[in-house]
Amino acid sequence: MPGMAPLGVSPWSWLPVVPLLVVAAGYLIGVRRLVRRGDRWPPARSVSAAAGLVALAAALLPPVSTHADVFTVHVVGHLLLAMLAPLLLALSAPITLVLRIVSVPVRRQVLAVVHSRAGRVLTWAPLVLALEVGGMYAFYLTPLFSLAHEHEWLYVVVHVHMFLAGWLFSTVVAGRDPLPHRPGLVGALGLVLFAGAAHGVLAKLMYAHDLPAVAGSPAQVQLGAQVMFSGGDLVELATAAAVMTAWYAREGRAQRRAAARAQVLA
Amino acid sequence: MASTEVGAEPDTRRAMPGRSIGAGVLLGIGVAAFLDETVFHQLLHWHHFYDGSTSDVGLVSDGVFHAGGWLAIVVGLFWFADLQRRRTTVPRRVWAGGLIGWGAFQVYDGLFQHKVLGLHQIRYGVDLLPYDLAWDLSGGLGVLIGIGLLFGPARPIAERRGIP
Repeated sequence: MPGMAPLGVSPWSWLPVVPLLVVAAGYLIGVRRLVRRGDRWPPARSVSAAAGLVALAAALLPPVSTHADVFTVHVVGHLLLAMLAPLLLALSAPITLVLRIVSVPVRRQVLAVVHSRAGRVLTWAPLVLALEVGGMYAFYLTPLFSLAHEHEWLYVVVHVHMFLAGWLFSTVVAGRDPLPHRPGLVGALGLVLFAGAAHGVLAKLMYAHDLPAVAGSPAQVQLGAQVMFSGGDLVELATAAAVMTAWYAREGRAQRRAAARAQVLA
Repeated sequence: MASTEVGAEPDTRRAMPGRSIGAGVLLGIGVAAFLDETVFHQLLHWHHFYDGSTSDVGLVSDGVFHAGGWLAIVVGLFWFADLQRRRTTVPRRVWAGGLIGWGAFQVYDGLFQHKVLGLHQIRYGVDLLPYDLAWDLSGGLGVLIGIGLLFGPARPIAERRGIP
């Protein structure tokens, strides 16, 4: 296949283990510190962090990383790196964890960054959506795909962008971290709908027009496109469930408050 | 949308037929989309992922409805769970909304997406007329029964016997 030389397995293929272990250790130390001083940290967040790092490891390590010349394997890596791992990591509330364990001056600095002008612009819903969806459309439907497979630095840049855009999107839509502004329930569901539809349409366009052209035979591209379509559905379902779980908990708290007030008044 | 305001009427067990209808509509749309995807696409293989004649408008319409179907089933289930928790579900209205949502989706899919946009057909290599008629008439019947269920007593489950 032109432009899609298989990457040989070498000891360097396992290099991503190092940053993943550093992040995992950091999260673990943070949670331990909270628990030791008697604070509560929902176990579901720690489970999300672990699952997100496992998804990231599966995408960045062999065999997925070294067999990405097979288009379907590439698509599995894409689903893990740009969609599933970002959602799980957003649900693990990493910024909240950092804010809870650092000293007051550092906390002020972190919050200043989050609430800075750049932070407000970057979490603006239309921009988040454009970064998330635009990156994928550009990568799969334009010559960017073959260019990225010719120049390693571009390959890295594109994938870092897709991971970060996915994380930003998941954090704004379903994350538990403090943000300068956050869409309401209808806005969040609208974003999930738009992104889900855009992902599905992208998979069908790839299937219909045999894109990316250099990715392999039409049969290989079509199989990859169908995996992308179905995998995108699963992540959309998970994202919607995350949004609604938070809503259900909020509603429950409001109902308990109302019931308590009613008891006091009675 | 469904937030309980502080200081609101403490009786949270009033019937909320509108919310029951809304949850039903979402569940109905979700079930129609789910059946379309699993039964007709994956199990029977009657529907095709892409049949070569689809316009780009058709792809976009299909994409929005496909994504919307998954979203509807998730939101509908959580909304329904919230009604159950408040014990304000009106089962008759949930069924009304469900049949209207399912039937309307079925007719939209059958008439607009299959015929006007030419997205794909119900089945290939057969005389389509009986299939189209069964598809659209079952949907139309669902809407009519659903509208019928909009009338009649709206009794929430909290008023059932034996429930404190």
